[in-house]
Amino acid sequence: MAKEENREPPYDQLFQAMPCYISIQNRDLRIIEANDKFKRDFGTLNGRHCFEVYKGRTEKCEVCPVEQSFADGLSHRSEERVRTRDGREVSVIVYSSPVKDQEGRVTSVMEVSTDVTEIKALEEKLRMSEQRYRLLFDRVPCYITVQDPELNVIEANQRFIEDFGRPETRKCYEVYKHRREECLHCPVQETLRDGGVHHSEEVVASLDGDRINTLVYTAPILDTEGNIDSVMEMSTNITPIRELQSQLESVGLLISSISHGIKGLLNGLDGGMYLVNTGLKKNNPERLSKGWEMVQRNVDRIRSQVMNILYYAKERVPQWERLNGGEIGAEVFKVLEAKAKELGVMLRYDAAEDAGAFDGDPQAIRAMLINLLENSLDACRVDSRKTVHRVTFEVTGTEDEIRFMVADNGIGMDRETRDKAASLFFTSKGAKGTGLGLFIANKITTAHGGRITVDSELDRGACFLVSIPRRRTIETLEKIGNKGGRND
Amino acid sequence: MTEPRKSVLVVDDEPDVREYLSALLEDNGFDVATAEDGTNALDKVRARLPDLITLDITMPEKSGVRFYRDIREDEQLKHIPVIMVTGISTDFERFISSRKQVPPPEGYMSKPIDQQKILKMIEELIS
Repeated sequence: MAKEENREPPYDQLFQAMPCYISIQNRDLRIIEANDKFKRDFGTLNGRHCFEVYKGRTEKCEVCPVEQSFADGLSHRSEERVRTRDGREVSVIVYSSPVKDQEGRVTSVMEVSTDVTEIKALEEKLRMSEQRYRLLFDRVPCYITVQDPELNVIEANQRFIEDFGRPETRKCYEVYKHRREECLHCPVQETLRDGGVHHSEEVVASLDGDRINTLVYTAPILDTEGNIDSVMEMSTNITPIRELQSQLESVGLLISSISHGIKGLLNGLDGGMYLVNTGLKKNNPERLSKGWEMVQRNVDRIRSQVMNILYYAKERVPQWERLNGGEIGAEVFKVLEAKAKELGVMLRYDAAEDAGAFDGDPQAIRAMLINLLENSLDACRVDSRKTVHRVTFEVTGTEDEIRFMVADNGIGMDRETRDKAASLFFTSKGAKGTGLGLFIANKITTAHGGRITVDSELDRGACFLVSIPRRRTIETLEKIGNKGGRND
Repeated sequence: MTEPRKSVLVVDDEPDVREYLSALLEDNGFDVATAEDGTNALDKVRARLPDLITLDITMPEKSGVRFYRDIREDEQLKHIPVIMVTGISTDFERFISSRKQVPPPEGYMSKPIDQQKILKMIEELIS
């Protein structure tokens, strides 16, 4: 017996040494026994109610696990916050367990409360930390998604949802690119394959259909065993950078294009001066006149190219006016009538009676028409295959549109040239043009909410048809980003 | 007995250049013919072999590059010296890089044309 006592410490000793609060309560919820830890933190018992001891209450708690154990004879669990006698708030997990007599009646209930204050504090820290990361995830100024190995988007941040909608486990290529098939090059797949960080540059489309240039980085998300569970994709919108880059490229092209244009003009001036000088020396009036005409024409070309360069380089605020199609057409015709005569081109002008009025910036419309007409006159000048050259300039209209047509029987354009005609700095005239003329004509027409169509065949001539709405539309105003104003 | 005048074919789609080079070369003792594109130039070369060709690169219909390849592949015409005259150096660079089967032209002159330089170049090539 003495031996057994040595092997097993007495129950009372165990009861006292337990590192949790243990109390025995009767049906009145009075504490009839408690261990040392309990007494140390909550004071002497004196048959006080548990709710007095634990919570300083005068009435029992709304939900009481001890009461439940008395009622059903089973164990119960709850989480509580209690206050020690020195005023310290303690979070506890409470287990209540019935103590029964030989007949199985519940005579008292043992309540074991474990102090989980530190665990609760850690849980709170974890919650705050998760909240902070969630906030960061949502507010970070880039798109973040998580894709599973089947490329389904299983998580997306707020920024992504705003621009692409809720992914709802759609495939990334469906959400980002509105495609039905996986992209040829996929950084997510590469990360799934080798677990590395990959990057690429992609063009995606938002819900509103806006094109967005993105720089994409992908990184693996590993499970507890170190296997790739999913891939995080972070995409930064670099559209403004790409636009700036494109503008810089345009400036570079402009400089190169202007240099080529100037070379051609210098050559024309050199040629004109040579003919003038040698015409004078040789007393050859025909050569002299040809040279002088060449000098004049190249000076005119310098003037119009400088105007185009200025028009391209300067952001103009359109000055809207109600214009008469026939009148503005006649003005432009008068400007170019003499030039056509010098070049031996028959320039014909015709305005329909119902051409009517339209909303436009007079200076821009004149520049656009002069560019088209000069382009046609030049196409006739360089064409040596025909003896008679004609340029027809007509102004007509429909109920909704004013139409300007410029047609010539000059050198014409093949399909490729025609397709590229209005692109920036494209010229089919080699060093003889800057490529700005048609680009600017197109830019002006578009800014008026209109369009230019080109019909042309190599060696047969070309026909440009400009259609502009008679009234400014909301779209036009949005496109121009302006409601009218003064030019400076 | 006087030596026959050397002949030059000026190929350029810009009338000002044709006018200018014709006057300059005629004033310096050359017979000059002109053509405004590669197709027309090929007809003229075949009708009468010139001693030298000045050739623009960017022209409608048939470019200078295509015309150059045609004459270099023609046994009758391949010996005719050619001076490329162009304002667009990138065109010429593209031409040089694409000339895998054809030899380079004998001369290159960038616009605006230097009168003394082109006359000297022509003299050296055909005298």
